[in-house]
Amino acid sequence: MSNDGTILAQKIRKSFGPKTVLKDINLDIASGEICCIIGPSGSGKSTILRCINGLETVDSGVLKVNGEDFGYYETENAYHALPPKKLAEQRTRVGMVFQSFNLFPNMTAHENIMSGPVLVKRADKKEAAKRAHELLASVGLAGFGDYYPAQLSGGQQQRVAIARSLAMDPEIMLFDEPTSALDPEKVGEVLAVMKDLAKKGMTMVVVTHEMGFAREVADSLIFMDDGYIVERGDAREILTNPKETRTQAFLKQVL
Amino acid sequence: MQQLTIERSEPGMNGKDSALKPRLKRRSTFEYVAWVVCSLIGIGVLFSVSTNPNFKWDVVAKYFTHESILRGLMLTIFLTVASMALGTLLGLALAIMRGSKIKPIAATAGVYITLFRGTPVLVQLIFWFNVAALYPNLSIGIPFTDISTAIDMNALMAPITAALVGLTLNEAAYMAEIIRGGFSSVGKGQIEAADSLGMSGAMKMRKVIIPQAMPSIIPATGNQVIGMFKGTSLVSVLGVAELLQSAQLIYARTYETIPLLIVASLWYLVMTLLLSYPQSKLEQKYSRATSRLPRKAKPVVLTDPEGAAR
Repeated sequence: MSNDGTILAQKIRKSFGPKTVLKDINLDIASGEICCIIGPSGSGKSTILRCINGLETVDSGVLKVNGEDFGYYETENAYHALPPKKLAEQRTRVGMVFQSFNLFPNMTAHENIMSGPVLVKRADKKEAAKRAHELLASVGLAGFGDYYPAQLSGGQQQRVAIARSLAMDPEIMLFDEPTSALDPEKVGEVLAVMKDLAKKGMTMVVVTHEMGFAREVADSLIFMDDGYIVERGDAREILTNPKETRTQAFLKQVL
Repeated sequence: MQQLTIERSEPGMNGKDSALKPRLKRRSTFEYVAWVVCSLIGIGVLFSVSTNPNFKWDVVAKYFTHESILRGLMLTIFLTVASMALGTLLGLALAIMRGSKIKPIAATAGVYITLFRGTPVLVQLIFWFNVAALYPNLSIGIPFTDISTAIDMNALMAPITAALVGLTLNEAAYMAEIIRGGFSSVGKGQIEAADSLGMSGAMKMRKVIIPQAMPSIIPATGNQVIGMFKGTSLVSVLGVAELLQSAQLIYARTYETIPLLIVASLWYLVMTLLLSYPQSKLEQKYSRATSRLPRKAKPVVLTDPEGAAR
């Protein structure tokens, strides 16, 4: 139980066809840690998140999420894929927020948030509705429950998406460039919700280009390039004083 | 100031204010010619149709609501509804199979669709009618036991059964492709979002994929219904007394071939027109541009303060 909210990766490799996107990834994220991943596009940042959520499977290496082997069980000679039901159960403990929100357009904001607990966890509808109400309020969207995603702005949609993930009571939240598809003026409202979440002790892994957010909120920072973790350490330390030349070059471009 | 007055007071050709004159469309000579030629052709056809006694409009009128014609029409409607309904269900199953990750299942659906779309319906209908030649006795039973019942295939494949089976199986192949197209119009992100919430395959299908695929499936299905309505005329070759066959049975007796074919055609036309109205309504309703919102969505009235995060 003490491993809840932790992520452990050892020697993870992942290729898409001939292209190897993750080469020897080693990670250790503690419970309650806020970890930001930065790096140029195509460096494998998003792929790491997608592996931790089971949207992609790793080719080799050890991946433990919440202290359990994720998506597989280990025997003497191999890792065997878990049955879909068990995998789905593990996934409910990891929330994912996408760059393009991916709210269900056929459901209202309220129904989107309730979809996880009601459809997957078979939670009591009244309870779930009450919870959805609270979650909407907590992301600053009280009263927007009856709106469909198409009626909401990008920032509002992303906040509903965060609430939808939170409704599953995950131990870990993954954010895949959550503000990249937003108008600059809407970025702040999403980051505010994320900061709030960070204060509550949620384990968060955030792939982002928002250096300001990383500096202010992150405990640790990972800089990735070409499938490797180039540098990892205290967020403020790396941002002000990067050791590796590649990191220095990247930060010079973006800061 | 002075300039303005000058422009304002500039009289048009006959004193009207130039700024208020209507702008007229340009009509080319071709347009006028087209009017004349098409009108002449139209009038000619109408004249010929109404004056040629061989059309026997009185016979058309007499048989238009003849009992056996109406009974044939009913059967045509029944065949359309039944084979569309069964075909859609089977098509849905095939579409899901086609998208399966398990290779043999996807391949089976693929082969089915190829076979049934690659051969003419008419041939398929005749084939099912004569399937007794291939399998004289159909025995249904539990494998490796003695429990079974044999059914005489000849008795089973009565013309109407053969018609229903043939139309359904053929329609299923087309519906499978339409539904599959609808499924693939649902964004990958939607499926990933459902996955990340831990939804099972069936749940994803019911709550996420099918509702979102509907806008592209429904208009195409409407088209299929209209096509199927006319397509049922093919089963007349099996001796099923649907609309066309009913007309044929009458003119075989009376030799009033043309008037009875007109009767049948008029009914097909009437029904197609009746069907194409709701069809075009559906198409409008589900057209991508106008229905980004679900039907039950409320109009946006932003009375609440714009929800700032904090």
